[in-house]
Amino acid sequence: MDKKTISGSFVALAVAMAVALFLKDGYSANLMAWMAIAALIASGLRFVTLIGELNFAAAAFVGLGAYAAGYSLTILEWPFLVSLLFAGLFSALIGVGFGYVTLKTKGPYFLLIGFAFTEVIRLIYTRINVLGGNSGMIGIFPPDFLMDHFTVFTVGLTGLLIIIMYAIEKSYLGKCFIGIRDNDQVVLSVGINVHMTKVLCLSIGAFVSGIAGGLTAYVNNVISPADFSFLLSTFALAYLKVGGEDHPLGPIAGAILLVFLGSIALRFGGGDHIFYGIAIILTLLVMPKGIFGLWESFKSSRKHVDVVQQSAKGGQA
Amino acid sequence: MQTLTQLILTGLQIGALYVIFSLGLTLIFGVMKIVNFAHGQFFTLTALLIAVLYPFFAGQGYSHVMAFSLVIAIGILASLVLGYLLYQFGFRFFQRDLAGSFILSVGFVLLIEGLLLHYFGGAVRAVPHFVEGSITVLNVNVTYQRLVLIFVSLVFTALLYWVLGHTRTGKAMRAVSIDHEAAMIQGIPYKKIALTGFLIATFLGALAGAVMAPLAMVSPTVGADYLVKGFIAVILGGLGSVPGAIVGSLFIGFIESFGGFYFDPSFANIAIFVLVMIALLVRPNGLMGNG
Repeated sequence: MDKKTISGSFVALAVAMAVALFLKDGYSANLMAWMAIAALIASGLRFVTLIGELNFAAAAFVGLGAYAAGYSLTILEWPFLVSLLFAGLFSALIGVGFGYVTLKTKGPYFLLIGFAFTEVIRLIYTRINVLGGNSGMIGIFPPDFLMDHFTVFTVGLTGLLIIIMYAIEKSYLGKCFIGIRDNDQVVLSVGINVHMTKVLCLSIGAFVSGIAGGLTAYVNNVISPADFSFLLSTFALAYLKVGGEDHPLGPIAGAILLVFLGSIALRFGGGDHIFYGIAIILTLLVMPKGIFGLWESFKSSRKHVDVVQQSAKGGQA
Repeated sequence: MQTLTQLILTGLQIGALYVIFSLGLTLIFGVMKIVNFAHGQFFTLTALLIAVLYPFFAGQGYSHVMAFSLVIAIGILASLVLGYLLYQFGFRFFQRDLAGSFILSVGFVLLIEGLLLHYFGGAVRAVPHFVEGSITVLNVNVTYQRLVLIFVSLVFTALLYWVLGHTRTGKAMRAVSIDHEAAMIQGIPYKKIALTGFLIATFLGALAGAVMAPLAMVSPTVGADYLVKGFIAVILGGLGSVPGAIVGSLFIGFIESFGGFYFDPSFANIAIFVLVMIALLVRPNGLMGNG
C-alpha cells in the first residue's frame, strides 16, 4: 500500500468522522452508523472473496459478535472496549473452527454450508435462556463518555478496520489469498499451506464481522435472533455487488447508497425486500461490475479516446 | 413397535417431500451449474395460490375434486410461467457462473418474497386435504393425504429416472451435466436443454408446494425453511447427483422424525447440520458427488 493511498484514506476517514460529529439529530446519526457498519460487513464479505469464496456465513459471525458483546457487557459487566474486542475475537475463534471444517469444500458447497450455518446459529440463540431466547437481549448501551458521539466512534473504527483489510490485501499475505483464488495448486507448489491460509482469511473476515456485530448491538441497544438471518448476508452481498467488488471502495459506496435509499423506501412505506431485490437484479443485468466497474470502464474508455486522438494527431504530424 | 412404525412413516413422508424439492435443485445445478435460491419461490407461489384460490373455486360451486384439480393446475402453471420469466430475463445470462447466478437468484428471492408479502399479506393460511380419511397400517393411523404425498414423490422420482435414462432430452441433460462443451460438439442444443432442465426443476418445486400445502400452514415465507433443508439434502448427497438428493432427503426426513420425537424439533435441525458437517469432512463433495 503506497503512502498516497494511506494518507488519502486517512484524510477521507477524518472527513467522515467530522461529518458524524456534526450530525445532531438522532436519526441521521444512527443512519450514518448503520451505513458504516453495513460498509464494514460488506468489506468483510469482499475480503473473503480474495480467496475466491462467497462467505454466506457472514451474518452468523455478525450475530455471534453482537451476542458476545451483549452478553459480556450486560451479564458479565465487562468494560466497553473489552467487550467489543471480545465480540471480534469470539467470532474469529468460531470462524477458525467453522473454516477448518468447511474450507475443505469449495464453491457451492462452502456457500451453502455457510447459509445453513447462519440458520443453525440463529436456532441456537433461541435455545439459550440467558441470551433471551426468541426475544433477544436489551439494554446494550455504549459507555457514558461515548454516548453522544458513538457514531463518530463507529465511523472511525469501521474506517480503520477497512483500511487495515486493504493493507492486508496489498501485503504478501494478500497476494497469497489472491493466488489461492486464481490457482491454489501454484500456491501449494511454493510450499504454502493453502488450507490454513484460507482459514486465516476467513477468520479475519469473521473478526471484522464480529466487530460489526458488536457495533450493531451498541447502536441498536437491542438484538434478537431475527436480526441475524441469512437476509443480513444477502443485504451485504447487495452492497458489495451494487458498489462493485473489484474496488475496495465498492462495498463502501454500495452500503452508503443502498442504506440511504433503503431508508427513503421505508419512509414511503415500501417494502425494503422488494427494493433490495430490484437493486441486485438491475445491477447484475445492467452493470455487472457495480458502480466502480462502471466508473473504471468510463475512465478507460476516455483514456482510449485520448489515445486514439493522440495517435490520430501523431499520424497527421 | 407402534411408535417405531409411526416414526418411520413420518420420516418417509417428510423425506418424500424433500425428495421432490431437492431433485429440482440438483437438476438445475447439474445442467446449468447454478445455485438457485429462488427455487423456494416456486414452492411458495404454488402453495399460496392453492390456499387462496381453493376457497374461491369451492365458493363458486365447483365440487371438491374439480376445485382442487383446477387450483393445482393454476398453481403449477403460474410457477412455470414465473420460472420461464426468471430464466429468460435472468439466469440465461448467468449460466455456469456460480457467484453471479447465486446473487441474481438472491435478488429474485427478495423481490418475489416482497411482492408475495405485499399482495397476499403475512397471514398464515390453512388448506383442506385433497382426500379425507385415513387408513390403519400396522396399528398406525395414516391419513390418505400423507400417502398421496409419498405416492406422488415415488411416481415423479421414477418418472425423472425414466426421463434421464431413456429419453433423448434426458440423455442430453446428463451429457450436458458431465461436460457441456463436449455435449455441444456432439450437436446437443445446450440452450434448449438448459431451459428444459430449468422448467422441469421449476415443475418439481411447484409440485412439492402443491402436495405440501394441505399438510402445513402456508405463508409467503414458507419456502425458506424448505430451501435450507433442500440445500442441506443436496450438499449431503452431492450437488448434481440424483440418487444423492434422494438419499440426502430421506436422511433429513428420518433425523427430523426421530430427533423431533425423542428430543425436540430444533435439536433435530442442529443435529442435521452437525452430521452434515461431519459428512463433508470425510467427503467434501457430498456422499455421491464426484466433482
